Amino acid sequence: MPSSAHTVRGDTFAADACSDDVLLKRFAEGDAQAARLLTDRLGPRCYSVALRMLNNTAEAEDVTQEAMLRLWKVAADWVPGQAKISTWLYRVVLNLCVDLRRKKTAGTLDDVPEPEDDQPSVVDRMQQNARVDALQAALAQLPERQREAVILRHIEELSNPEIAGIMRISVEAVESLVARGKRSLTAILSGRQEELGYDHV
Amino acid sequence: MTMSDQDTELDLLFAEARQAHVDLPGDLAVRILTDAEAIRLAATKTAKPKSQGFLGNLVAGLGGWQALSGLAAASVVGAWVGFAAPSFLPDPANYIMTQDASYMVANLGLEAAFLEEAE
Repeated sequence: MPSSAHTVRGDTFAADACSDDVLLKRFAEGDAQAARLLTDRLGPRCYSVALRMLNNTAEAEDVTQEAMLRLWKVAADWVPGQAKISTWLYRVVLNLCVDLRRKKTAGTLDDVPEPEDDQPSVVDRMQQNARVDALQAALAQLPERQREAVILRHIEELSNPEIAGIMRISVEAVESLVARGKRSLTAILSGRQEELGYDHV
Repeated sequence: MTMSDQDTELDLLFAEARQAHVDLPGDLAVRILTDAEAIRLAATKTAKPKSQGFLGNLVAGLGGWQALSGLAAASVVGAWVGFAAPSFLPDPANYIMTQDASYMVANLGLEAAFLEEAE
């Protein structure tokens, strides 16, 4: 995110210098510009995780919108310093993803997913990179908790304690999930070595 | 390929995935900000007015600052009349000292008949 200066209520400040807490407080006080800054900062992270968890652009967009809506709703009651906003938001996104998947697997006709629209696929959005596509496809095959842990650790680059806070499990459990997830990914991808350029090794 | 090689390849894949930055679709950003604006406006409407404090409540009870300025002007005029009354007005001190109601009324130029009717 560029460290451009923004003007909010006549005060010029560097957006990067403002914590999420400060911006959320400003939003709760009626500052529309703060909502824009928070959306720029947190929206892509929510969307990235949702996209990798769900592998569906429309669903990822809905989850991101809902997560951000919940953030706006809690803004007035948010206690600064009590929790990290990004941690809280990641947790909301993961819960919404899990809820969506459960709803889809409930098996009613209404929940049958609609065919993908003509939007670019996840792969296309990710620079049409075959290797990234392969990784995304492999991630989709992981058990849910392993996928969450691997995405947060290796794509979002969060620390194990932070992931533990998001997933409400111990740090050791995070390490175990990540390790098992990576082993599974390696096994899944081993069948695509040539496609991924492994054969040169 | 050794296990270590596989780990390295996996790490490279993760690195490539991180570089494939996922941008927020433009229409999604608009939807998110529309939600934010709706929440912000709703909160503004339902926000309680700030307490005015004792002085503020007193002023409001008297009808606001405009009424208060009128009241202050009338008080100043009254005080001025008390200290430097015009010559054509009776001296209030005399009324207090004599305690004679008829004298007071006579001085004001009213008819005696009025006094009788009043009694």
